[in-house]
Amino acid sequence: MARILIADDSETITTLLATALQSSGYEVEVATDGNQAYQMGLESEHDLAILDQLMPGLLGLEVIDRWREAGIETPVIILTGVDDERTAVESLDRGAVDFVRKPFRLPELMARIRQRI
Amino acid sequence: MTLRTALQWVGYGVFAYFILMQAYILTLNMISAWALRRDHHLNRFGRVTEMLSSRTTPPVTIVIPAFNEEVGIVDAVRSMSLLKYPRFEIVVVNDGSKDGTLQALIDAFRLEKVALPYRPDIETKPVRGLYRGRGAVDITVIDKENGGRADALNAGLNAARYPYVLCTDADVIFEGDALMRAMARVVEDRERTVAVGGNIRPINESEVALGHLIEATVPRRLIPRMQVLEYVRTFLGVRPAWSAINGLPLISGAFGVWRRSIAVAVGGFTPGHFGEDMDMTMKFHRHCRAQGIPNRIMYEPTAVAWTEVPETRRVLRRQRIRWHRGLIQVVREFLPLAFRPRYGVLGMVTWPAIVAFEFLAPIVEFIGWIVIPVAWAIGWLAWEPFLWLLVLAFGMGLLNSLVSLLLDEAHGYFDSKRDTARLLVMAAIENLGFRQLTVWWRIRAMLGGEATKTWGNMERQGFATKTATAPPAPPASSASRP
Amino acid sequence: MSLLELVQYATLVVLVLDAVGVGTLIVLKAVNRRRRLATERRKREYMRLISRHVAFEYCTDPIPADAARDPAFIDAIIDFRNVLAGSELANLERLISRHGVVRRLIKDLSSPWKVKRLRAAMALAEIGGDETVDVLLAHLDDREPEIRVQAARGLGRIGWTPAIDEIVSRFGRVSPWVRARFADTLIGFGADATWPLVAYVMVNHRHETAGPVAAIRTLAAIGDAQAVKPLMDVLETATDTEVTIAALDALGSLGHPMAAPVMRTAATNPDWRIRAKVVTALGQVGDVGALEVLATALTDESWWVRRNAAAALGAVPGGLDRLYEAVAGDDRFASDAAMEALVDIGELTAARMRMEGGIAAPRDLALISHVEAHA
Repeated sequence: MARILIADDSETITTLLATALQSSGYEVEVATDGNQAYQMGLESEHDLAILDQLMPGLLGLEVIDRWREAGIETPVIILTGVDDERTAVESLDRGAVDFVRKPFRLPELMARIRQRI
Repeated sequence: MTLRTALQWVGYGVFAYFILMQAYILTLNMISAWALRRDHHLNRFGRVTEMLSSRTTPPVTIVIPAFNEEVGIVDAVRSMSLLKYPRFEIVVVNDGSKDGTLQALIDAFRLEKVALPYRPDIETKPVRGLYRGRGAVDITVIDKENGGRADALNAGLNAARYPYVLCTDADVIFEGDALMRAMARVVEDRERTVAVGGNIRPINESEVALGHLIEATVPRRLIPRMQVLEYVRTFLGVRPAWSAINGLPLISGAFGVWRRSIAVAVGGFTPGHFGEDMDMTMKFHRHCRAQGIPNRIMYEPTAVAWTEVPETRRVLRRQRIRWHRGLIQVVREFLPLAFRPRYGVLGMVTWPAIVAFEFLAPIVEFIGWIVIPVAWAIGWLAWEPFLWLLVLAFGMGLLNSLVSLLLDEAHGYFDSKRDTARLLVMAAIENLGFRQLTVWWRIRAMLGGEATKTWGNMERQGFATKTATAPPAPPASSASRP
Repeated sequence: MSLLELVQYATLVVLVLDAVGVGTLIVLKAVNRRRRLATERRKREYMRLISRHVAFEYCTDPIPADAARDPAFIDAIIDFRNVLAGSELANLERLISRHGVVRRLIKDLSSPWKVKRLRAAMALAEIGGDETVDVLLAHLDDREPEIRVQAARGLGRIGWTPAIDEIVSRFGRVSPWVRARFADTLIGFGADATWPLVAYVMVNHRHETAGPVAAIRTLAAIGDAQAVKPLMDVLETATDTEVTIAALDALGSLGHPMAAPVMRTAATNPDWRIRAKVVTALGQVGDVGALEVLATALTDESWWVRRNAAAALGAVPGGLDRLYEAVAGDDRFASDAAMEALVDIGELTAARMRMEGGIAAPRDLALISHVEAHA
């Protein structure tokens, strides 16, 4: 069973994603800020991480950077704001496997997740 | 009249003053309660999200002076850059730091030196260079020679591109919507609102990570705990009242939004002033009233920022002496405003009240603490009336604390049983020693001398060990101390 | 009664009040905490429940019958409304209509409790559909300003264009806060709001200030070029400084060259604030015919006018030459302003690079030496 880490400071999004992913048979862990996400990534292995860019503590992209420094190669999907072109492009440059814009469509996100696992 | 009757009358006079002062504060508490109740619903629904998506919300420049802040400055800027607000820029003023503050900023925010000439609307110490961020954060860094907090803020005012400027410190932690809630006051009445102050709360012993508050607690240690109570009394019990009658004499340095054009017109913050925030607020009042500029100087209790307060008696003593020195300076300069109808409620009500109940309070109280025990000891006082008066005075002081704590429930902080107990214990024991100490320190400030002439370094114990020339100067004079 | 007795009575009263205060505080803190935790728990449960309904169209998990009355449920729905799109949003809207949420909220709007009414108004603004239009229109005149704001927001979100006239007609009568929020709603309507706003400005700008000024700013934010001609008329006929400034601002940001000639005539206005605005606006429009006006403004008595004129020259074709001329000229104020503008747009850096490359023109050297002399 694939394990997925979700990190977002909006409880709405984490609840929605967790519910949808659990029903599809994934094991889900939730972090509510960047620092927590970073720590949880260190503590155990995940098959995929879905990180919001704008989180308190650490930004999504910064979590990637720190993980890579610590030798953690978990594939990451970044969630970005609608008109945040810069983050979208930068996330791929910094080694995220994909990005999804908010508000996202659930079937689309699920398809991207399936593709990565 | 014999010495004996004279002493008795002094004793009665002290008590009368004391009780009058408590009655004055309780009146302010009642006005605060009314104001908080009137505005309570406004901030519970919608406001913040509406302003966030609005294109008409005025942009804000955030000015952060930094002196030897290498450790905390990057987290501070990052935490500010995540504030919920549609459009703002951050200006960090490196006030001649001797550590790697500038380099830390350059590395973290990909700063580039720019060749912009620096336009000194306000005179400051020489500027060595201007840097602009090339990363995701809209940040400008001014590198200048050391001139103290006021001078650094002035440099920030000079560089500010936006019409409103939030002046704060590197160690202040803002709640995500604090700026928005403060600026809602500006949007409400943009023509008249020239300055808005926010609510400062002590953060000692609370859990903090990377520039964000995780969970707030009432400190276990007595010195910071006493200050939690003081801050609640000031920021919930007193300032809403002053703000409601447009007679707010002080916007705390840790969280003040100022209209740039007026800040420049009054010549900026006064370098070397011991209470530069109160001085600035009074200058705003004086300037606007004298020039006939429509004005409203507001305080917004729901705009919350957290800051570390002194942990030890030594540091607290230095802070209080400095605050009272600041008050003395301000009183000296602005005394002529009192009882001048031209200065409105401020001139007719709050300013005289500040002088009578804040500036003079330590003198009267000190006389009381000397005269009454002496008179009693030599048998010149009937003990009964004085005991009753003492209980009455303390009872009223306690009532003042309780009312403020009840008002704080409007926004609901510190609600665990442990926190409640800690606050109540503090309210009860505060009068037994702590208050007398603060009185003595303020007398010390009045006596003057070398010990009172320095700013004094704030020593931090909490989430990051660092020092600053310019400790946050929150409620210079809280007017709520019995 | 003696003074002592008075003090004694007063003391007793204060002590009783203290005791009551302590009791109230303890109880209130406990009650508030319990209520807060309970609401959070319920909201979390609702969020999980709504998540399932949103993610799976045929979810059959029951929703409690009284959920529509629970503020935690409404909160959860609003939170979701703001992050969803597409078919998930459709699922959520179905859920809202199935559970009579909107009906309940409309009823709450006429409750005697202010807080209840506010909560209902805000929720309706977020989730109401076409069926709420009449109610929202009626509440544009609510006695509570925040409810007026919410009514307008709701109408804007639904996109009910007939509401534009209703909102515009109230522009002058509401508080600045409500006006700012009304303006946001109108900006959301876009070009549909142009003509109603124009009509409002034309009728009112000579005897009112706040309303027309806000309307003109709104027109600028909408950015519809149809507003240019009417705003030119306003500029010519305005009697109020604030209105004139707002019109200049708007014409500048709309940026249509047609407006330039009218704007130029305002450049000799005795009020420096108007002159400062004119030169900025001319720069935004990029009006070539304004070169003379701007060059003259470089010698204006006001620092702001000189500074804005220099900045504008940096943006107008052919303006650079004028700036270099001014730098070398005799008027010290003009040369300072020109220098700052040149540095601001990067000419100094460029000049230095040309100097290093050995291809500097005389005017580059003049600028560099002028800047150095200044420092």
